[in-house]
Amino acid sequence: MATTTNYGWTTPDDTALVKDGASAIRTLGSSVDTTTKNLNPETTLGDIAYRSSTANVNTRLGLGTAGQVLQVNSGANAPEWATPSSGSMTSLASGTLSGASVTISAISGSYIDLLLVITNRIHATANQSAAIRLNGDSTTNYTTSVAYGNDSAAGITTPDATFIRTGGNAQTTGTSYSIEEIKLYNYANTSIRKICQINAYTSATSATIRNSIGFYKSDLAITSITILAESGNLTSGNYILYGVK
Amino acid sequence: MTKSKLQVKEFNCELGEEIVRDATAEEIAQIELDAANAEARRAEAEAKEISRQAILDRLGLTADELKTILG
Repeated sequence: MATTTNYGWTTPDDTALVKDGASAIRTLGSSVDTTTKNLNPETTLGDIAYRSSTANVNTRLGLGTAGQVLQVNSGANAPEWATPSSGSMTSLASGTLSGASVTISAISGSYIDLLLVITNRIHATANQSAAIRLNGDSTTNYTTSVAYGNDSAAGITTPDATFIRTGGNAQTTGTSYSIEEIKLYNYANTSIRKICQINAYTSATSATIRNSIGFYKSDLAITSITILAESGNLTSGNYILYGVK
Repeated sequence: MTKSKLQVKEFNCELGEEIVRDATAEEIAQIELDAANAEARRAEAEAKEISRQAILDRLGLTADELKTILG
């Protein structure tokens, strides 16, 4: 009896009698049905299938739970859904700085903390600091306590209360280097005030280091962060926002 | 003189999309307010410094000598 090339389904020989046609079609249809089912074992929305140890028979993998990621199992022979281990970071947004501000919106609430890293910030106007606002709030809901030191002085300041100041003065050319790491704790919590810790360094005219605590008087979950210059436009620089587990 | 349009950038994490658009009237007002506040802070700091220096001059002290006195 003849068979198909890939799945070995039985088909009538050229010499088979016409009277056997119905039976042959039934046999072929049944084989197709069985193979199709073996290759598509999914039963529920979100299921996926992967090849089993048997050829032409796939295994169903049910959808994982919210926040889980697909990984290879410990036997290194099949995929599985797993909850990411604590401490992992996921890049949520990245890009360049330009214009009056950069807003990162629709931030997922699936992480424990957020880490925003801003590098090589250059401004259109000389001697401008960088700042962030949360959830588009520009009222006096912020407090920043900044301990700073530079080539000639050290001190503590409490800048404008309508934003959290993140970094020191930057230059208007590409010759200076700056980095600001802003860690926003428990940002998705809806019953506590929000705080962030900031470590910043700017190699502008007067190289400055800053260690700051920013406080935001709101219990709302943080879903957007706006990066802005204290005054004037941002010319260039980069940002990356990570979700931290 | 024509004033160049202020622009803002937005990155939507859900869509993974970035757009650059003209600032709205409300955003422009906020940007101008921020600039005015920054200028006021700068002027206040400058005035403080001048006043501090005037006191030091009256006392005949340098900034370093004052630091030494204050420990």
